[in-house]
Amino acid sequence: MMEELAKVPWAVIAPLIIVQIILMIVALIDLRKIHATNGPKILWVFIIIFANLLGSIAYFIVGRKQS
Amino acid sequence: MTTLLQVTGLTKQFAQHKVVDDIHFNLEEKTSTALIGPNGAGKTTTLSMLTGLLRPTAGSVKMLGNDLHANIGFLPQYPQFHPWLTALEFTEMAAKLNGVAAKKAKLEAQKTLEFVGLGTAQYKKIGSFSGGMKQRLGISQAIVHKPKLLLLDEPVSALDPVGRREVLDLLKGLQQETTILYSTHILNDAEEMTDQLLFLQNGKLVEQGTLREVRQRFDKQNYVIEFGSEEEAKLFANPSNHVIGCYVYIEIVNEEPTMKKLLQRLSECPYTIRKVERQTASLEEIFMEVAKKA
Amino acid sequence: MRGFNVLLQKEFREAWRSWKFLWIPLVFALLGMSDPLTNYYMMDILNAVGNVPEGFEMLMPELMPLDLIQASIGQFQTIGLLVMMASFVGAISKERANGMATLLYARPISFAAYFLSKFVVMSTICFVSILAGFAASVYYTSILYGTLDIGALLVSFSTYYIWLLFVIAVTLMMSASFKTVIATTCAFTVIFVGQIIDMIIGIFWTISPWKLASYGIAKFRGTIEMSDYWWSLVITLALTIICIGIGIVMMKRNASMIKI
Repeated sequence: MMEELAKVPWAVIAPLIIVQIILMIVALIDLRKIHATNGPKILWVFIIIFANLLGSIAYFIVGRKQS
Repeated sequence: MTTLLQVTGLTKQFAQHKVVDDIHFNLEEKTSTALIGPNGAGKTTTLSMLTGLLRPTAGSVKMLGNDLHANIGFLPQYPQFHPWLTALEFTEMAAKLNGVAAKKAKLEAQKTLEFVGLGTAQYKKIGSFSGGMKQRLGISQAIVHKPKLLLLDEPVSALDPVGRREVLDLLKGLQQETTILYSTHILNDAEEMTDQLLFLQNGKLVEQGTLREVRQRFDKQNYVIEFGSEEEAKLFANPSNHVIGCYVYIEIVNEEPTMKKLLQRLSECPYTIRKVERQTASLEEIFMEVAKKA
Repeated sequence: MRGFNVLLQKEFREAWRSWKFLWIPLVFALLGMSDPLTNYYMMDILNAVGNVPEGFEMLMPELMPLDLIQASIGQFQTIGLLVMMASFVGAISKERANGMATLLYARPISFAAYFLSKFVVMSTICFVSILAGFAASVYYTSILYGTLDIGALLVSFSTYYIWLLFVIAVTLMMSASFKTVIATTCAFTVIFVGQIIDMIIGIFWTISPWKLASYGIAKFRGTIEMSDYWWSLVITLALTIICIGIGIVMMKRNASMIKI
């Protein structure tokens, strides 16, 4: 297993993972600060974390209440 | 007094229904006018037309000597703000959009926020504001450019008693400086702060005048006389009088002669008279009368 | 254009504080990465998933670096546009519907200024986004496939950006003209159904805004007539300006649709 992990070209994959994580963190920070969401907040926490890219996008587009 | 605003034949028709039907009134400078009427009477529609947000089907609104659109401040019933901005940023933007010089705008905005009691919250994002704070911010954005005419739609209806008191006091403070037209369905508020009354019902202006004029027109000239005991009250009363306990309610139709007769009767009667009082009709009662008449 | 600067500042603040300047570019960066990566590791992915018969040799087309940039543009054209339009299409109609517009419309503002301030902020977000998307795609393409020609990149980038300006103008015009739901339907129809129609029967014409997205690279490869490229560009810009004009007029006409 460790051998296989070592074979993964981390230099290539790393930026991809980092960008995904930043997006997730931004979504979570925003969720923490925001006064109201469409649907329960805790649900969005799960969506953002487990449906990572799509979850974050969905949150930014439909999750936030505008008024 | 000089006239500031002339409203003539203002009408708004949606489909077949006339929401506002041919209303005429003037606003004098530096007076406050209450637009009262039940829900659905057309108050908000009238105000919307005055702000220029809604185009009238017929009639006109003229501000004498000035451009109407640039000289009003408007507070809707449920003001909605951009939640990402701070109170100061929003008020400053409002001032600038109304032509306050960029250099002065920030200072004016800060002064106004201080005045409405949001001095300490000016750097907070509006998204975190409570209902009462939003209402204050609503007032501040409406007055920051010192408009000639202030239009307020139900400025205190959504507030709790404390908030209502505070906002009413704020508005009273503004009365000396600007012309105010506000709508309300809460008559006590209107009674407290008004020079002119406009009664709106089913889109029609059914009654208008100063508080005193309207009162005189609708006052029933009721007098209450309190006697020493219930027996005395019963003995004194005519069949047409209304008796409750030791109080006799007398309605005087033709004031002068009847009044004298009444006083004569009172001075001659052998009973204990504790109190004679003229009852002034409350706006509530006048309102009911107007509603019945219309 | 009264109040343009003030409104522009407000739009920028809002976009900035709602993270639009960060999350949309990040999404584009991810889209830009996906094609060079998945294509390069296709064999490994298939092996990892298993079920590849012994001795199976998939005939992978030999991909040139430019092909991958083109593939990335394809990603922007679908998911990218979807995300972008979905987050912009309510800009005017939602403000009207939730009452936020009331406090602005009751002031002596110029609708042209308000419309354009939104347009400028959105085009800036788009610019940053495709910059991030192109950068990500170019980064992976160059380390996995080989170097790219700067000239080709600049041409395809700027050509694609002009197409995006058209998309923004259409989206905003719809938002100014209709309620959010209808605006979304109309804007998506114009952009996506337009693309599909252009793909199916587009061989009959050579000049169209919907072709512009692929014309940047095609121009560099010399597979199209230069005049077709320039005409498409000019027509797209002209349509963008027309959409802005209509949008401003509709925004003013629909001012009374606001909730008071």
